Amino acid sequence: MKKILKDILSWLETKVSYADLRFVQTEKEHIEVENGILSSYNVSTNRGVGIRVLADGAWGFAASNNLNRTSLLETANKALDIAQASSLVKKGEIKLAPEKKHLATYITPITKDPFQVSPSEKIDLLVKVTKAMLRDKVKKSEGSLEFIKTYKIFVSTDGSEIEQTIIESGGGIVASAIGEDDFQKRSYPSGLGGDYATCGYEFIEEMKLTENAERISEEANQLLAAPPLPAGKTDIVLGGSQLALQVHESCGHPIELDRVLGKEISYAGGSFLTLDKLNNFTYGSPEVTIVADATVPRGLGTFGYDDEGVPASKTYLINKGRLEGYLMSREDAVVLGLPSNGAARAENWNRIPLVRMTNVNLLPGNLDLDELIGDIKEGLYFDTNKSWSIDDKRLNFQFGTEVAREIKNGKLGRLYKNAIYQGITPEFWKSCDGISDKKYWKLWGIPNCGKGQPSQVMHVGHGTSPARFRKIKVGASQ
Amino acid sequence: MRDINSGKELVEKISGFIKDYDFEIVAVENRSELTRFAESYIHQNVAETNLGLVVKIINEDRIGMATMNCIDDHSLSQNIQKVIEITKISPKLDYNYRLVPPQRYTLECKFSQKTAQFTPLARAQLINQLVKKVHQSKYNAAGAFTTEVNTLLVANSEGVFAFDRGTKVEFNCVITKKNSTAYYSFISEEIDDLDIERSTDKLLLTASRNTEQTEIEPGVYTVILSPEAVSEILNYTCYSAFNGKMIMEGQSFISNNRGKKLFPETVSISDDPFEKLTIPIPCDFAGWPREKVCLVKDGVIVDGVYDHNTALKYNKKCTANTLPPEHSSFGALPFNTVMKEGDNTIEEMISSTKKGVYISRLHYVNILNPMSIQLTGMTRDGTFLIEDGKLVRAIKNMRFNTSVVDMLKAVDMISKERQTKPGFIGSTVAPYLRTNNFTFSSKTSF
Repeated sequence: MKKILKDILSWLETKVSYADLRFVQTEKEHIEVENGILSSYNVSTNRGVGIRVLADGAWGFAASNNLNRTSLLETANKALDIAQASSLVKKGEIKLAPEKKHLATYITPITKDPFQVSPSEKIDLLVKVTKAMLRDKVKKSEGSLEFIKTYKIFVSTDGSEIEQTIIESGGGIVASAIGEDDFQKRSYPSGLGGDYATCGYEFIEEMKLTENAERISEEANQLLAAPPLPAGKTDIVLGGSQLALQVHESCGHPIELDRVLGKEISYAGGSFLTLDKLNNFTYGSPEVTIVADATVPRGLGTFGYDDEGVPASKTYLINKGRLEGYLMSREDAVVLGLPSNGAARAENWNRIPLVRMTNVNLLPGNLDLDELIGDIKEGLYFDTNKSWSIDDKRLNFQFGTEVAREIKNGKLGRLYKNAIYQGITPEFWKSCDGISDKKYWKLWGIPNCGKGQPSQVMHVGHGTSPARFRKIKVGASQ
Repeated sequence: MRDINSGKELVEKISGFIKDYDFEIVAVENRSELTRFAESYIHQNVAETNLGLVVKIINEDRIGMATMNCIDDHSLSQNIQKVIEITKISPKLDYNYRLVPPQRYTLECKFSQKTAQFTPLARAQLINQLVKKVHQSKYNAAGAFTTEVNTLLVANSEGVFAFDRGTKVEFNCVITKKNSTAYYSFISEEIDDLDIERSTDKLLLTASRNTEQTEIEPGVYTVILSPEAVSEILNYTCYSAFNGKMIMEGQSFISNNRGKKLFPETVSISDDPFEKLTIPIPCDFAGWPREKVCLVKDGVIVDGVYDHNTALKYNKKCTANTLPPEHSSFGALPFNTVMKEGDNTIEEMISSTKKGVYISRLHYVNILNPMSIQLTGMTRDGTFLIEDGKLVRAIKNMRFNTSVVDMLKAVDMISKERQTKPGFIGSTVAPYLRTNNFTFSSKTSF
């Protein structure tokens, strides 16, 4: 395949100012079990080539699942035609930040190949845990596992030739307690589809789904009988998995430079972190340091090179509360006169690279969790996301969580259901006065970050440890 | 799949690899092109040819699925064999699985040759026209313009065979100048229906009103929702409430409310592929012919929609709402949600409002509580205060936390005009709607 890609690249070279070709082949296993019954076992394979050209100062991209040489030459021609059409509506010549030539190979380090684990072992695990969750009012229990192996070849007119094999494993379980006119869900290890990592089957074994099944079932039952959270303003602690989504929505997305530049304005919206704020804006308290780090082991946003052939890197986005950087592609980095920091990612061969999160991590603080909670006289501990919404500049947000626990005199107490909290992004992060230390820090994998038109679903990571925020508006959904 | 014969050949070929087992096949061939513009230039321009093939194998109530985009003999044989092996070790379903028997299909996809042949250059020319015009008023434009051809094949080993081809045009645009913004969206199968001149004028008119926004306080308001906003609420309502699987599991508002008259008689919602404003397909993804299903009739909650699996499991009638196989564990969704028209004009709705809010567009809607269909989200791109029958000024964006049930109970005006908007799957036809119960929970600074 690489030879065909290089041949087509040679053919394009004289016609473009830049071109890259990406072959992507994906192998996937997705397993779902409900109440001990297998509801879906889907094995999938997918492959194709995407060709991106910069010609006449404008972009063209065409992609095809037909991989013979003739068809791919037609696809390359189509990309050139499209670039020509794009050049009709342009502001100036599109420029790319310079990037070195890379000849490289990257493979996700794993211990246990998930595709060598037998289907029966995977099914048995889910059957066992979903049966164990069916207790009292828990009438529905769900478990899922997913394994993805992605092989990519990238070649570009910069001379880069990069081959990568990324392996991802993930899954989770959900118990739903169903009453007369209410139902309550409890998920493990996180909400919205479970937890994922670039890792082998050892990630599933470490999750200890079996050991946690009865506990989350019991919590779902307790939630059904729990009162709704009373409205008010109070001090809160966000547990790691909820904080991951808080970082995702209120920092990860607004810090994408294409969004800042208005390229997503018609669909997902813009950003309040405008260019004038770079190095000149207090985003949060001095406790708050957030980095984008595509090099951290096991992160769902970890890779060797992004989909523009830029090496994975670590960038300080928020440093001690101050805005210091953006997630950037080669095209957008030019605006700041900087090199790309390797955040241009494409969902598959049939999508162009967009500025995406890698692993956007809130660095740990220095408090023990007992100290973090212990300093709250009256407050709440929220965890596990249930709903999320944020405005089109990423300022006004509201999150719902599966659980909220009362904190009274520094101790965790009763459970509340239907909990929500609201805030305005910089005010919220400025109210952060404590983050628990590295022994509570964990990388969470979010496999369903949506962006772009046509839509692209990206797999991203967030490292967090529980953190404390003061005087936050809370309440319950009705 | 060039034509119906190549569709039949594909089914025969797959059948040859499966041999002794029952099977279902769904194949969607997609030729899609999209031009995206922002800051008044084209920043993304893409074209894709792809095939999504799902083969579901049924081995005595044990089911496995293979999904692939390559249909060479090696890929087909390897994936199918893997799935056959999986069905041999899978636990059985807790109900008897039966294939859909052969059907006749009367509905056809809408197809436009002109849409199918629309070129990247032609898209760029229309975008250029819009960009130049809004520039005259110092606005920037951003949006996306898609044209696509989709070929659908649904078949099974009992003899179901549905094959059809449809086109789709989607266009959306936001124009911006500082805090002044406006939004327009369009969906149809026919490129000739897209009137760029008229849509540009609409954008400029809304944007010219949406300036110098002031704050209002959160609370319960009378609101007039645009078809854009109504369609968004209908989409989330269908997702949350009308999924037959969730209903049967006791996880939907509908579970305990079938047969109850909760809304005014003017409120009727259906899944209606025969409505002329919709974009239909001939069958669902199991092969049942699409049909009209009443969800809410004259204010009475009727029922939800049912997919093939849920219908078999709970002994219900399948309403031809089976989703693509890879999403089958979710249950069902309406494909062509339609809200019945009223008899008012939008002008009458505004002029008869003493005090209220007009909402052009909603943003980042999500479900807070499925049992009350409580939704949250933001307003954007044109929210206006109405006083004494007039739009008096633009207001800053607001967050809403509102129950769709309470909102529909308080509907007192519905427009005759309706517009087609994208659904979660298929399309949604929505009117303007006035309700006296819509809760804003917080505000923004812009």
